[in-house]
Amino acid sequence: MYVEMNGIGTKYELETESGEKIAIIFLMNRKIQLYIQEKCKKLCSAELTESEAKRLSSILGGAPIEREKESVEVDFLGIPELTVAMHTYRVGKNLAGKSIEELAIREKTGVTVIAVSRRGKTIISPPPHFTFEDDDTLVVIGSKDQIKLFEEKILGK
Amino acid sequence: MEIVFAAVICSLIALISKKLSFPTIPLYITAGLVLGEWGVIIQSEIAEFLSKVGVISLLFYIGLHINPEEILRKRRIIFSAGLFDLIVNFPLIFFVSLALGFSYSQAFILSSALYVSSSAIVLQSLIENRKLIYKEAETIVWLMVFEDIVIALLIILNDLDFTSIVIFLAKLSVFTLLAVYLSKKIKGIEGIFMRDDEVPVLFSFSIALLSIAFEEFFDIPLAYASIMLGLILSGIKRVREMITPFKEVFLAIFFFFFGSSAEITLKGLESLVIILISIIGKILSGILTGFKIHRSFSSGIEIGLSTIARGEFSAFLVYTYGDSNVISIVMLAIIFTSILGAFLAKYSERIVQLLQYTSRML
Repeated sequence: MYVEMNGIGTKYELETESGEKIAIIFLMNRKIQLYIQEKCKKLCSAELTESEAKRLSSILGGAPIEREKESVEVDFLGIPELTVAMHTYRVGKNLAGKSIEELAIREKTGVTVIAVSRRGKTIISPPPHFTFEDDDTLVVIGSKDQIKLFEEKILGK
Repeated sequence: MEIVFAAVICSLIALISKKLSFPTIPLYITAGLVLGEWGVIIQSEIAEFLSKVGVISLLFYIGLHINPEEILRKRRIIFSAGLFDLIVNFPLIFFVSLALGFSYSQAFILSSALYVSSSAIVLQSLIENRKLIYKEAETIVWLMVFEDIVIALLIILNDLDFTSIVIFLAKLSVFTLLAVYLSKKIKGIEGIFMRDDEVPVLFSFSIALLSIAFEEFFDIPLAYASIMLGLILSGIKRVREMITPFKEVFLAIFFFFFGSSAEITLKGLESLVIILISIIGKILSGILTGFKIHRSFSSGIEIGLSTIARGEFSAFLVYTYGDSNVISIVMLAIIFTSILGAFLAKYSERIVQLLQYTSRML
């Protein structure tokens, strides 16, 4: 529910089950005012900049970046069905000496290797003939299912 | 040189008054007034033209907020928010002015100018005093929209030329209908105003300035043409951002020269009475509006106290249509009510509490 306030901005209002009121107003000068009113009590308010408001929204929204141990999942605002997962893996002996092409990572699993970290140096978008070495760290991107497939077929977990 | 002077002084005033969260309008006017009295500032053609640009961008900006479709959709709430404000304040000031010995036309200009609150001050103080969560804030916003529409009518009424009234009204009707029609079609060229380069600013500014051409070629009042040109673009939100810088700069210059244009002829009693009823009228209409919409006396006091400040529209109306007598009274009323209004709006909650407390004691 929102109200256009002519000459001021847009107001969003929410009344909680317990009867407390929260209002957020997007002002025309790009500032955001946040009001909280406890039931029958004095009003609290804060004025936020755009980036502060974004931080607050990501906290309230359950954080769009979900952290697992070695992976991040990114949700894009406005496209709820689009979730991209990134995962990092350490290369073991079984992959060392093989190239991306040889392993047919993309064909078999659909994930893409987007970066490799080798002895402190980063190689972004390694070419197909790129050969892994022992102790490389790689970053792959794909959907959650594709990454699972990658773990099974390529890493042999 | 006087323009440089005006711009620098206005910048300093803006800086100081923002620090003290004090309205800028009365200070611009007072600065112009004082420097005009000392003979430092002389009216020039350039100053006059820049003031005109200030008025055009103000009214164009008003037009941008009059979106025919939106207004039609919300006509009920807009009407009930603004009704008492109009039927209390306008007649009150009109008849008191007559009683004070002003002529009919003077009384009409006085009541036109002093009926209208200052959107700039009122809306700014809602934001600064953190009142946007309250229902009354919405009512006040709709009340301002209602006033904006009435301003368009007041311009027509003050411009009426009775010798050629039929042609005049016919011309205005055609122009108005055309504007409303174009406002519905305008989405088609929205792309022009969404670009990242200088094109949107240039277009916004030159469309606003077209009002000068409409006055020149078709005898349509400049102020009315500005509002209607804004109305045409009211569906494109970005234009508001584009025109705001022009409004800020040229309106400040307008206030400054408005202040310097008039000599304050202190007609003590008359000015005092008019200022007093301007204040009392708004409190009264606020109470009635509060009762009608929120069924509450304290809401009414809040609305009344929040709308006392007069400013940009009063200055423009009296500058365009008034004689020096009327100008000096309205000028004093603006300075006084805007300062008092900003102050009362800030402490309105305490005033309401105090009133509730005393009414319980009685």
